[in-house]
Amino acid sequence: MIEHLAPEIVNGIVLGAFYAIIAIGLSLIMNLTGTINLAHGSFMTLAGYLAFTLMSRGSNFWFALAASAICTAIIGLVVERLLISPLYKRVPLYSLLLTFGLSLVFEEVFRLIWGPSTVPFSAPPELSGATQIGDVFLPTYRLFIMVALVVVMVALLVFLYRTRLGLRLRGAVQDAEMLAALGTNTQLLYMTNFGLGILLAAIAGVLAAGLLGLGPTMGNDLLMPAFITVVIGGMGSLAGSIVGGLLVGLAISITTLYLPAASEVIMYVLMAVVLLIRPRGLFGEEGIFG
Amino acid sequence: MFLPKRGAAADLIVIGASEEITGVYAEPARNEIRGMQLAVDQINKAGGVLSRQVKLVIEDNANNPGTAVEKARKLIQVDKINALIGTVNSANSQATSNVCLEATIPFVDTGGHTDSVTGQQCHWTSFRTCHSTWMETHATGYSIANKLGKKWYYLAPDYAFGHSLLDGYKDIEKKLGVTVVGEDLAPLGTTDFSAYLTKVLNAKPDVLIIMQQGQDLINCLKQANSLGLLKRIAVAGPQGEIENFWSLPKEARVGYWGFEWYYKSALVTGKNKAAADFIKTYTDLYKQPPTARSVFGYVTAQQLAAAITKAKSTDAVKVSQALSGEHFQGLWQGDAYYRDVDHQLIWPMWFGQVRGDGAGGDEWNIFEVVDSQPGDKVEKPADDQKAVCKLNYPA
Repeated sequence: MIEHLAPEIVNGIVLGAFYAIIAIGLSLIMNLTGTINLAHGSFMTLAGYLAFTLMSRGSNFWFALAASAICTAIIGLVVERLLISPLYKRVPLYSLLLTFGLSLVFEEVFRLIWGPSTVPFSAPPELSGATQIGDVFLPTYRLFIMVALVVVMVALLVFLYRTRLGLRLRGAVQDAEMLAALGTNTQLLYMTNFGLGILLAAIAGVLAAGLLGLGPTMGNDLLMPAFITVVIGGMGSLAGSIVGGLLVGLAISITTLYLPAASEVIMYVLMAVVLLIRPRGLFGEEGIFG
Repeated sequence: MFLPKRGAAADLIVIGASEEITGVYAEPARNEIRGMQLAVDQINKAGGVLSRQVKLVIEDNANNPGTAVEKARKLIQVDKINALIGTVNSANSQATSNVCLEATIPFVDTGGHTDSVTGQQCHWTSFRTCHSTWMETHATGYSIANKLGKKWYYLAPDYAFGHSLLDGYKDIEKKLGVTVVGEDLAPLGTTDFSAYLTKVLNAKPDVLIIMQQGQDLINCLKQANSLGLLKRIAVAGPQGEIENFWSLPKEARVGYWGFEWYYKSALVTGKNKAAADFIKTYTDLYKQPPTARSVFGYVTAQQLAAAITKAKSTDAVKVSQALSGEHFQGLWQGDAYYRDVDHQLIWPMWFGQVRGDGAGGDEWNIFEVVDSQPGDKVEKPADDQKAVCKLNYPA
């Protein structure tokens, strides 16, 4: 069985990178405003459907990817301003309930517009096919996903650590009140931050649609592993989300090889073990949630 | 004292339909309903049943066995139905079948395939139109060995339905002298199949038999395509639902599958005029060709009406006896009958290939039927079924 391990590790890394990018979006939103965004998966699905609609009207994959991600982020901003921002001053339970309700509404709207079953969404021809290296088959689309996710993560880190706005965002996570007192418009920061989280979700959503069936529940199916990634990695840590994602991805892939029946439950076991040893998660800062 | 009889209030024959209108089976359920509706409309236009009009009362069981039980009870108690038809999800079929036995209402399972409905948990009130999982695995097993090779790899969903399909193939593999080079059970709802698929690539079988359904099947095929597996290894499976394949991208419309019916194949419909008329009327009405699901609904409603006519009554025992063993001409070549030993409809099953683009200027036409197996060859022998299924008609 050991000779099959190499392909599983590659699979695990791709899957993990995927969970990580979703988890980073969740984590960004959670850190700054305490909003546990249960509608995150719906934004992923929305982006997938928008890309599908553009492509079925003749657009190419790359334009569809960019346009749908931006449109989804704009819709995200509207939702944030109209519905979520009024709840920032309340305990997280309110926004949790709101986003949960939103995810149900989104799902039904998807059913009404695009129908209950999956729609035919495929990756562009230049990304189909696979390369074989020894015993390892590497689908081009998966390699592309991995590269795309690395690029997105690097861009995000540069933004957060090398720009003024990024600096303010990090400052707001530490002490939003002080930042406001110093004359920074924190509402604008909240908005940017939410938009950024949704943009990441949207990119992940379009990429996922090429890999999975694009149906009304696609994003929500990916949301649970992403939440577990956040918990394992530790709330408030981007590095944690990346490491957590890779751990979850690798655990799932390797378990599939040796004990397929446990492949879905392994991430919960991993979470339980991490929480027992380190209750704040691997990279979590203490007391982020009170 | 005035005692209203079932369905007598408005002098109607009332047939209840329980379908998965919401949830993952919404599309097959819709097509079953369309078939039923068309049959009922045609029956009513021709004067009804026992000179009474037929009314179809449709309920959404929400793809949930608990809801299916509630809806069946509601149809029986409130709508005073004379018979119940429907269901796509096997768990719903069995649950509904059990409720109908308690209430002594004839039930015809249109589209739930699990063996138990006409096997261990069969009832004198219950019948089934679609094929059993046993029939699906045996029909496709013969055709796969015949057309694709005898070195197999199994990939099945890890729940009751997947296990019963696997049992079916394991039975047929011995009869055919097949070598199995690998077997994996993937949890239901698996999103990433690449780990399984790389194992398959390394095992190099002639055929990968995929038993996943719905979303799992779509994920699996899309990923098999991106891994380049589809170019190296033939894929096949017990049941190809055209509703699924229509929603797949072209490059994932691949493989050899068991077909329960198809609208454009001489092997299926032959020169059957009833089938040709049905296909034309249905396509004109719904702007989409009928699927196997539409046929389940249509044939079920039609045969139930015929049984009530033959029984000259809506009495459950009389209707069940009239339906049982009666040979009829379906919407395919050759005849069919609900077998008296277990009430399973015995009819042929087909096998064929899925193609990316519609053929002959018809975008819907993506199946190519290449083989067919007679129903009595692929279902468990009647003598074996007697030991498993006890119908126990009331004296």
